[in-house]
Amino acid sequence: MAEYQDRLAAGHASKIEPEHVERVLEKLRRKEADLRARLASDPVDAECEDLQHKLKVAREHIERAEWLRRELA
Amino acid sequence: MTSVLKNYSVILPLAALVLAFWFSPDLQEVAAGVAIFLFGILMLQDGFKRLGGGNLERVLGAATRSTPRALAFGLVSSTLVQSSSLVSVLTISFLSAGLISLIGAIGIVFGANLGTTTGTWLVAGLGLKVDIAAYAMPMIAFAVVLVFQKARPVRGFGYVLAGAGFLFLGIFYMKDGFEAFRDGLDLTRYALPGILGLLVYTALGAAATVILQSSHATMVLVITALAAGQITYENAIALAVGANIGTTVTAIIGAVGANVQGKRLALAHLLFNLVTAAVALILVAPLTALVDVVAQIVGIAAEDYALKLAVFQTIFNTLGVILMLPLTRRLVTFLERYLPEPEPDVSRPRYLNAAIDDYPETLERALRQEVSHLYDNAVKLVLHGLNLHRETVFAASDLAAAVRRSRSPIDLDIGDEYERRVKTLYAAIVDFATRAARHRESAPKLVARIDALRDLAGGLVRSVKSVKHIRKNVLRYTTCDAGTATELYDALRTEVAQVVVAIRNLDREEPDERSTLCLDQEAARLAAASGKRGLRVGALIREGKLDPTAATSFLNDASYAEAAMAELLAAARAYFAEPDRAIAEVEGLFALDEEEIGATIGQASERAKHARPRPGPMPNCHNRRLASTGTKRRSDSDEIEETRREGGRISGPAGGGPRKQD
Repeated sequence: MAEYQDRLAAGHASKIEPEHVERVLEKLRRKEADLRARLASDPVDAECEDLQHKLKVAREHIERAEWLRRELA
Repeated sequence: MTSVLKNYSVILPLAALVLAFWFSPDLQEVAAGVAIFLFGILMLQDGFKRLGGGNLERVLGAATRSTPRALAFGLVSSTLVQSSSLVSVLTISFLSAGLISLIGAIGIVFGANLGTTTGTWLVAGLGLKVDIAAYAMPMIAFAVVLVFQKARPVRGFGYVLAGAGFLFLGIFYMKDGFEAFRDGLDLTRYALPGILGLLVYTALGAAATVILQSSHATMVLVITALAAGQITYENAIALAVGANIGTTVTAIIGAVGANVQGKRLALAHLLFNLVTAAVALILVAPLTALVDVVAQIVGIAAEDYALKLAVFQTIFNTLGVILMLPLTRRLVTFLERYLPEPEPDVSRPRYLNAAIDDYPETLERALRQEVSHLYDNAVKLVLHGLNLHRETVFAASDLAAAVRRSRSPIDLDIGDEYERRVKTLYAAIVDFATRAARHRESAPKLVARIDALRDLAGGLVRSVKSVKHIRKNVLRYTTCDAGTATELYDALRTEVAQVVVAIRNLDREEPDERSTLCLDQEAARLAAASGKRGLRVGALIREGKLDPTAATSFLNDASYAEAAMAELLAAARAYFAEPDRAIAEVEGLFALDEEEIGATIGQASERAKHARPRPGPMPNCHNRRLASTGTKRRSDSDEIEETRREGGRISGPAGGGPRKQD
């Protein structure tokens, strides 16, 4: 975030507005819902493990997005 | 042969001019008028290029959404630059680069034919009646002041003003030259009546346009000669029809270096102009009568043959458009049948051509398409190198099972195929990006995006190089069931196939739905798999199911495969990066680096090799891995990159890599 602020101050970055975060968050939530649905469809062990790893990453992204949304609010 | 022709193309016109000046010194003024006029057209075109910046490409995209729009674009653009030939040649370039459709391009060419008649109106209506030299002189003087300004738009306007000034001056000299010429020689003595005259002067008009490379210049010459009484009205009509045929030669020459789409457009242009000319010649009597009626209605004097010629040219070109427009789809079908798409030569760039070098926005779009072409070639080689077919991988519902069933060895010389399908394209991309760098001052952000595309192409090259190294063991262990080793290699092949499928899925998503953040999920999956692989190999060695030499060989191959996957993921991240810069910033903030991915999935960070790199140069996992063992690796892409920086040519064999342990 600090690096982004520096670039923004130098005019090398575009300003992030809350609606930008909201749009990304919507996409992330759709992806997360898709992963949950695939996990619920009783996949084989190896696939289940892969999906769980992916889900962890998706949740991490969502947490970051929600944090940024709060920061910008 | 070509060089001989090139020499003659310079020597013959010069010799003809010397002879003509020798026999008729008055001709010098006419010739100088033509030269000044053509120079004016060049300046006008240069000025519009400078004024246009990246707008032309955007307008072109919008213009070809429907045939009426394309028609209007052709009309307006050829009116502005006063050259239908230039518009046709540029359209061929954009069509060849895959930026517009054939049907849209045909619409532009039809419109350009109509647009070129505006020049005739200008000269016949204004050039002959007003002392345009009086306007030309101050225009040129003002233009020179503007041309020396730093601001690009001001300079562009200066060139446009100078171009218009030289056009006017050229017309003045041609008119003046013919006036002087009339005293020495009466060309009407060579006037031919009837059908013979029609055909001979049509051929002369075509020949003059081929030589001048501008139907507009021919028409100005014809109008000034007509106004000076040097040719008859009937012969002038035939010359105008001939000029319409001759103007297609420029497009045909332009299509020589173009792909099949460009050639189709050149043929469409030729057919359109031939049909229009044939109709005009067949219906010359009723058309001439129609011109008289129109002239009477709009108040053109019966003796004003110059303006009547402009009416005739407009009527027969409009007639051509009315006749051909309803047949456009059939024309496209005919062209596609007559000039079929050749068997695609995967080793040649499809979308990069030097003609679009001056249009920065177009450069990026063409380069994106070429990089996509390279990606297709690279992925095909990566999968074939692993004994996998793309169709099998993309159709599989259970990828691991599909990989296990893929036991037939694919006949492939990966070294040759790499040279043919990958290295040549990458060299073309680097060369293209290097040329684009000259826009760095005027469009720095665009050039940065072009550099990023070039860099991701380098990543694709490295992914194929990685798979080259494991091909030998893939053949050894995946074409028959060799027990544990086969299982390990199958798992590795499945991982690569999963990455390719994930990128394909990303590509197939709607742009609004797409997010490169989902590639972090792939990276996490790969990091977890890498960790598990190490543990499994260790266990197999301890259990005596895998000897240490084979294990080392496999781990070495696995690291090459991991590098290939990391390169593919990084390339996909760069290629599908969000075009909205603010949203791209948001995604950049959320993206996880390798340590964060490792922490998220509960793994040690050193195992998380596939995580997204932080902004900066493209990750080269080979170099990272080999640097840790003190080995410096020199790949083809490094060699090409180095040559690019030096501005030299790419040649010679690939740089040697480390000797692989088998």
